[in-house]
Amino acid sequence: MIRGSSVFVSALSPRSSVRRRIAPLFALLAAVLLAPLLALDADSAPPPRAARTVDDYRHFRTAAIDLLGRMPTRQEIAAFERPDFDFDAWIDAHTTGPAYVERLTRIYMDVLRLEPNLNFTNATSQLYRHEVLGPDGKSLWIYYRENQRRERPETDGEFCLSPDETGVVIRARQPDEGTPRRVTKKLLDEYTVLVEPWWLYRDYRAPKPQQLFGTDAWKDPDPEYEPVEGLLADPDGKRVTAVRVCREEAQTRDVGHVYASGRVKAPPKDAKLPGGRVRPPPLDRPYATQHQGQEVACDTKTALDYAPDCGCGVGLDRCIPGDSNSGGNAFYFPNHVPLGSAYPLDDARQPQQRWFPYWWSREAVRFLDDLFAEDRDFREILTGKQTFVNGPLAQFYRTIQRGHCCGPEASFGMLEESAPLFDPRNVPADLEPQDVSTWKAVPDRGPHAAGILTMPMFLEKYASARARGAALYNDFLCKSFIAHDQQLTPSTEPNLMVRPGCKTCHATLEPLAAYFARVEPANFVFLPQERFPVRSTRCRLDAKGRLRGACNALYDAAFSDAKGATLRSAYGSPEHADETPVGAARDIVAAPEFAQCAVQRVTSSFLGRPTTPDDEALLTSLTSTFVRSGYRMRALVRAVMRSDAYRKSNDDASDGGTGGRP
Amino acid sequence: MTGRRSQEGGKAGRGIGCIPSRLPAFLFILILSGCASRPPARVPAVPGPPLALRGVQAEDSAPKQDLRLVPPEVYMRTYLQLFGGLAPLEAQRRARGKDGSALFDRWDDYVSALGFPDYRLDIPRQTQTNALMVATFERLGVALCDRAVEHDLGATRGGRPPPMDQRVIFAFDLPRGAVDQNAFAERFDVLHRTFLGYPAPLAPPERTARFYALYRDIVAGHRKADPRSRFTPEQAGWAAVCYGLVRHPEFHLY
Repeated sequence: MIRGSSVFVSALSPRSSVRRRIAPLFALLAAVLLAPLLALDADSAPPPRAARTVDDYRHFRTAAIDLLGRMPTRQEIAAFERPDFDFDAWIDAHTTGPAYVERLTRIYMDVLRLEPNLNFTNATSQLYRHEVLGPDGKSLWIYYRENQRRERPETDGEFCLSPDETGVVIRARQPDEGTPRRVTKKLLDEYTVLVEPWWLYRDYRAPKPQQLFGTDAWKDPDPEYEPVEGLLADPDGKRVTAVRVCREEAQTRDVGHVYASGRVKAPPKDAKLPGGRVRPPPLDRPYATQHQGQEVACDTKTALDYAPDCGCGVGLDRCIPGDSNSGGNAFYFPNHVPLGSAYPLDDARQPQQRWFPYWWSREAVRFLDDLFAEDRDFREILTGKQTFVNGPLAQFYRTIQRGHCCGPEASFGMLEESAPLFDPRNVPADLEPQDVSTWKAVPDRGPHAAGILTMPMFLEKYASARARGAALYNDFLCKSFIAHDQQLTPSTEPNLMVRPGCKTCHATLEPLAAYFARVEPANFVFLPQERFPVRSTRCRLDAKGRLRGACNALYDAAFSDAKGATLRSAYGSPEHADETPVGAARDIVAAPEFAQCAVQRVTSSFLGRPTTPDDEALLTSLTSTFVRSGYRMRALVRAVMRSDAYRKSNDDASDGGTGGRP
Repeated sequence: MTGRRSQEGGKAGRGIGCIPSRLPAFLFILILSGCASRPPARVPAVPGPPLALRGVQAEDSAPKQDLRLVPPEVYMRTYLQLFGGLAPLEAQRRARGKDGSALFDRWDDYVSALGFPDYRLDIPRQTQTNALMVATFERLGVALCDRAVEHDLGATRGGRPPPMDQRVIFAFDLPRGAVDQNAFAERFDVLHRTFLGYPAPLAPPERTARFYALYRDIVAGHRKADPRSRFTPEQAGWAAVCYGLVRHPEFHLY
């Protein structure tokens, strides 16, 4: 620069006297103009490296813990010690990759706790297994569904062989009653069939499946797919090549028909029941008599209730096996995966009811991982339509979830879900149920999808509309429900938004809960507006002030009268009910508290302490950075890590931090 | 009140005979009245000399927090990396070994003690240590150090350690003969960097000396041990140093 300025001055000083006279002025002007540049140049020149202090090392260690997910190695420390180490570049380079992603996912998993402590039981898909004595006196297993409709009155709604035929009263989850007797071959052939099921054969859809699990015929099996031993061996220990299933359950058609047995009146109490059964065969419900012969989709609960010509589909792929009469175990998978599913801490034999909840949780983690790995707009955590599915989840969304519907909904004319949260047509077609390690992106689940809010894991973890609304309020707005100092006076007021003592919280909570009124509690069946209006004139209070039948299941008697009824959970805001979780996501991300809350959570996590009023300026600055970046976490994390507060966050400082430690 | 008044009336009727008993009170009132007649003395406010400056100390306005515990995910990843970059189940298999030493149980047994959250049961992550956690740190640390001595220092390979680039923790050679303080410090620095993340010379000045004393004590103790340990005295000494660092508060805090 100095040389440059002298050249600049000398260029202006040829022999001209005028120029000679004005040369000092130019020189002065140049000096004035260039002084700031010179100063800037001096500032930007790399200062000589000072020796690293303990605090420097600890700062680096903290950053490594945050971005590498572990303490730094000796080699990384050696690189840090080099004079050309660029900490900013290091931060930029490491705000990508799996450890960074896991770091951010951990923040939101700690908040949302999206792991299930529940069993998913879906009568439509759950297969039980009972042992009977075969014609040769050897034990054999027969798979069946509870409450399967059958045309034989001896077995309708029960196991496919009657107590008279087996000697035993067989009911799911119940101890046997009676003494087993040999079942004749004729009966076995008539009421049961052998099936090559999906859990044993990779090519279970083939006319003659060949690729049996555990044999060379099944090439490159998924290493994480592992049925329990009980599903792989006969009672005598031989490898299973086909399973025996009740004939109705083994049916493969997609569409069945509503069946009416003609039984509309319960038999007298002392009447002898057919086949030695201990409870009378089911009576025809009004819907069956009114719609006899009507088509019904076979993968629905409606089919289980009404259609004896519906079963578990090709290779039983609409059902999940268990190795006992009480559900039993199905597959091996880990209990603990705190470092991700690629690094399990165990591998345990698990009950069939935990199979899908486990994958729901993995789906939520995948969704969050993708959000942070791709540095998506963070608002997509609530508004995103995308997700990821593997084989079991594809099976679940394709057919199993449909088995939840329809019970009381059928009375409103909904025999199958007409507007599911995850449209089965959007499930990748090339995923088989055994593809547990293969994950595929689903860009759009359907019009009702709203980030994590419409995932089974969220809807089952937060089972009620109020729990879902409270989770929104707490987790994404960082607000809590704190009751004011009010007395709970006796009241019969059903509207909690006005009841004294309740209203301080419920005036906010009930409208939030209303967003979830169309997603059934402890479930994920979506109730579309056209069949289930918020205010239904079809459902009314009777003379005793009650709602009857299906109306009581879906509508709220407390907000009903003789003219109509209000959809459950919708009274807080009928508008919100019709806006569905999609509206909830839209409204929550539009609130200014959404960005502030995200910034507070991330900042607090990286500083390792709760933020305080002293951090106000920092949080304001970070929020501005976050919003300006388009709600990108990477920009936020980089800003946090470059902040002075982060550098000072290491409590184990060198001055006095040793606390007399050896 | 009526009776009391009549009593006082009775005393008043005693006449001159009561004067001596009232004399002290009379004198007391006289003295008081004498004091009251004089104006109270006033002490004028005089500015004192400025206090001598004995030192300047800035007010510490930094937020005061508990020490941060390394998240259990970080602890476990670091542990696995120190174990040679193994997957958890493989590290468990090697840590358990087949020597019947019962050094390690199963990760399942340690998960909750290490402070991992249990989202299924809504149990939050532990952010403070407790007795069980510290005991778990100790057990895991001992398993790590013992297996590292076996691997890096060749305790199970007939004294033949692997090449230096395959040694994760004890990335140095043992000198022949006794280890003096300088030789110890050089090797201790390797371990110090490995576990605590900075050079030993930057630690409190007495740290290296204390660990050297520990090393010498262990070596001396093992020379006398009967029955003999599966480690040589030197290997046992370095294992003890490793125990001390892997359980050091600075390893678990940040």
